[in-house]
Amino acid sequence: MEREAGVSLTAQWMILVVFILLFSRISANMEGDALRNLRVNLQDPNNVLQSWDPTLVNPCTWIHVTCNIDNSVVRVDLGNAALSGQLVPQVGQLKNLQYLELYGNNISGPIPSDLGNLKNLVSLDLFLNSFSGPIPDTLGKLTKLRFLRLNNNRLSGSIPMSLTKITALQVLDLSNNHLTGPVPDNGSFSLFTPISFVNNLGLCGPVTGKPCPGSPPFAPPPPYIPPSTNSYNVGKAENCQDIGGRKHPN
Amino acid sequence: MLISRIFKVIAVSCLWLLLGCSLSYGTDTDIACLKSIKESLVDTHHYLNSWKFENVTEGSICAFLGVECWHPNENRVLNIRLADLGLKGRFPLGLANCTSITGIDLSSNELFGSIPQNISEIVVFATSLDLSSNNFSGEIPSSLANCSFLNVLELDHNQLTGHIPGQIGFLNRLKTFSVSNNRLSGRIPSSFNSSIFTKESFANNPGLCGKPLSPCV
Repeated sequence: MEREAGVSLTAQWMILVVFILLFSRISANMEGDALRNLRVNLQDPNNVLQSWDPTLVNPCTWIHVTCNIDNSVVRVDLGNAALSGQLVPQVGQLKNLQYLELYGNNISGPIPSDLGNLKNLVSLDLFLNSFSGPIPDTLGKLTKLRFLRLNNNRLSGSIPMSLTKITALQVLDLSNNHLTGPVPDNGSFSLFTPISFVNNLGLCGPVTGKPCPGSPPFAPPPPYIPPSTNSYNVGKAENCQDIGGRKHPN
Repeated sequence: MLISRIFKVIAVSCLWLLLGCSLSYGTDTDIACLKSIKESLVDTHHYLNSWKFENVTEGSICAFLGVECWHPNENRVLNIRLADLGLKGRFPLGLANCTSITGIDLSSNELFGSIPQNISEIVVFATSLDLSSNNFSGEIPSSLANCSFLNVLELDHNQLTGHIPGQIGFLNRLKTFSVSNNRLSGRIPSSFNSSIFTKESFANNPGLCGKPLSPCV
């Protein structure tokens, strides 16, 4: 009787250990798989992703990837890497990701709404790319987000009100896009001035100087002259042509 | 009346859009801004030695002590935090060239002289202005009421005199406000009636009276 109990206890422990090992391998692989998916959908003429070897047990030794002490990805640093292609939704599976730095590339397509699953995200830098479509309102779930810089893309639609609930937000830049609709000034947006919204012809509300359709006119805010550098000129030219052809409201 | 107001809004929007299209050398002005701040202040402890202007590259000013930029690799100042550095001098007018600046913290230094009358033209988009614990004198400029994006205004622990301009009480984004420990006098204007204006906001100004302090006699 005792011997049987002893054997089954050992077996239980072994099963538990095997299960833990398997689980940790699977979750590490899941993050590696997500990044492998990211790589497959990007064109990489400068071979910055050359070290991304999917046969390794986890992606923590890959260049431009940083892990924490538990071998879970906390940073992806691919700024100014001449990448093009699209950002896959699987990036939303990197549950400990804090910094997603993809700025200064030529990535196109939509911002995946799955990014709203990145509960630990502190910095989302997609600026200076060719992202199109709306800003997903799921980004409002990123309660730890401090930096949201989506400027200089082709984003359209309106600014999700859910972003005003992110109390950690310190730096917001949505300038140089094709956004339309009202600009909030409540919640976290109390910190943001016309600088964050400039060069988006369809935005309206007190911060922009254009009343939203159906609202009374108001005193305009001070004019903001955005600085112009070479890297920004392409987006600028588009907006200037837009201005030429556009009718003013009222 | 309505038509002229609508016309004004359209006119300003047109101006804004045209200016947005024109070439300007904005990031060069941010360098000029920081240079001017360094030159106009006496930096007894040499904290600003890291502010080097000989070989400026895109983003190099972002590593300067106390400087926070809008983006890495772009010389455009978001916030300046130079608290408690033993800096002496007048309010640095060169801040006007940091055209994208929103946060200014010059607290706990030895700055003197008056706060510029035209401050709303110098730091147009300020969301946070902390000049506390210095030796600023003279009156609180009423043009602060035009800094409509101010969330934080801290002028406490200075030598400011005169009355508090009433229009400042109407700043609708204000969350933190203090003029305590100055030499202000007169009645606190009735515009300062929201819950963010406490006794502590006005304390230790012997000549100041009215709500939320004791009534004027």
